[in-house]
Amino acid sequence: MKVDIQSLGTFNRLAHEGAEQATASMCQMTGLDAVVDVTKISLVDRADVGEQLAGGDYVGVRFDFEGELAGETVLVFDREGSETIANALVPGGASDEAMARSSVEEIGNIMMSGFIDGWADFLEATIEHSPPQYLEGSGREVLPAPSPRRATVDGPEGFDGTGDGDAPDGHLDQVFVFKSEIEWVGESVSFYIYMLPEYGPLSEVMGRHNSAEDDAIPVDKLGVFNEMTYDGTQRAADNVEMMTGIETEAEVTQLSFAPIEDVPKQVGTDTYVGTVVEFTGVPSGYLMVLFDEASAVHIAEAMMPIELDSDELTEQHKQAIEELGNIMTSGFVDGWANVLQTSVDHTPPRLVHDMGRAIVDPLAAQVGQHQEHAFIIDSEMRTEDIAFGAEIQVLPNERELRQALDELLVERADQTEADVEHIFE
Amino acid sequence: MKVYDGTTTETETAATTSPERIKVGIAEYQVAQGQAVLTTSGLGSCLGVAVYDTAAGVAGLVHAMLPAKDEMDDNGTDAKFADSGIRRLVEDLEREGADRRNLEAKLAGGSDMLDFSEDGPGIGQRNAETGRRTLEEFGIPVVAEDVGGERGRSLRLETTTGDLVVKSASRDERRL
Repeated sequence: MKVDIQSLGTFNRLAHEGAEQATASMCQMTGLDAVVDVTKISLVDRADVGEQLAGGDYVGVRFDFEGELAGETVLVFDREGSETIANALVPGGASDEAMARSSVEEIGNIMMSGFIDGWADFLEATIEHSPPQYLEGSGREVLPAPSPRRATVDGPEGFDGTGDGDAPDGHLDQVFVFKSEIEWVGESVSFYIYMLPEYGPLSEVMGRHNSAEDDAIPVDKLGVFNEMTYDGTQRAADNVEMMTGIETEAEVTQLSFAPIEDVPKQVGTDTYVGTVVEFTGVPSGYLMVLFDEASAVHIAEAMMPIELDSDELTEQHKQAIEELGNIMTSGFVDGWANVLQTSVDHTPPRLVHDMGRAIVDPLAAQVGQHQEHAFIIDSEMRTEDIAFGAEIQVLPNERELRQALDELLVERADQTEADVEHIFE
Repeated sequence: MKVYDGTTTETETAATTSPERIKVGIAEYQVAQGQAVLTTSGLGSCLGVAVYDTAAGVAGLVHAMLPAKDEMDDNGTDAKFADSGIRRLVEDLEREGADRRNLEAKLAGGSDMLDFSEDGPGIGQRNAETGRRTLEEFGIPVVAEDVGGERGRSLRLETTTGDLVVKSASRDERRL
């Protein structure tokens, strides 16, 4: 399967408009005000789907659909959000469990029918969907259990699937996920629409919407690239461990695709501390290492010989973060350059301490001078010892990324077909 | 293509005493009548342009990402660019009853943070320049601005007064 940038863009817009229609019908029925914040298409390890839901309790509805496209789609509210909806439909409705449940079902049914119909209209085809199934649970459990039929990405030809995150039968164990995040105006609760399409029908439909062949990226390469990024993140995590003595693991890696104006929304409105570099080569782009403030304080103190009696972020903390950001960047970029067999140079890190979105915004704007959509490489790392999380976000030039992927398999076919991990040894 | 013309939010004004809050996303604009608060967050090099006619009680805010649509081969929304975004905003304000002679503007954002370009002015600066130039086309005076520098900003436009409140991570609120 190949996808081109234009068809990814079209599918992204379609998912976004579907989510907007669904949200509009919800607003109309309840009188509540909500907006679709961001829609993106991600290629993500099956086990990491729904990572964003970790730690919360959710209710929602699930539909199976079949036809031109097949798969599952899920609408998920956090508990608070579902109570708001139940109360908006019937005053006091949230306190009656049966009533609350039927409110969610009713709203879910209307929203998701609109969402699926939108896809069908666009594809000028029929998509049948099942009646809504009510669901509740915590974290990503609320999403459908992984099924082997889901859009598992085929590995490159000859790929035997023996790497860490691979399925054994020549598939990369990665799936396409369409995700929209919807936000209540003036509230801190959100809800999500996930669409998990099966690979076969999706690849057919995407193939049909490809415009120009030379624009196309084989999806298997994206999948392999994703795994390499994971390994690059692990290198960065190893460097953290080396400097701090804290055991750190790469956790989630995903490659997403979104309109350039949605790129800053990938990061929250909270304040972050970290470093940014511009890298040159093929591809060129920007790389950010971002810590939330609390994580920054923790990790910086782990690097310091003396204990500081402050929860505030001081200049000393920032210096430590700058050093750490530098070494994480090097780890990541080295891994990448190794695989691509090119040299990737980067500028000295610039320390940033600002609202997350404001940090990403100038970088997205610089990339946005040459392209309307962007690939975003997003990795996270975590540790169990202390509360600490870091994100690596990479914003590559899209045309150059395509070129790099082109060259990737042509020149190194023997190695990418093998275990990705060996490439980093 | 979705046009963010503010019509959906205007019809859903909550029957409460607090003013309606309308969010303006990146590459979006909104126009509001009567008592409302227009907000936008996370401006780095992006430019926020507030235009209002307090006599007519109409105000609007655009959150533009890049300077000029004219210079780009781009099918993006008008509000993605400072020039086309302002033109669109003024058009809508007038349709909602604003009088061009009474319109005033305030600018915020356009910071130079994380500008890696080595030659010529950065995007933040070009956003601000394009904003001023486009407003001049319409003869709309810029009565206050808080642009440039090295920090991100979030904005709140109070429609009845035309006050633009600028917040930054490491600085006290400024009211323009």
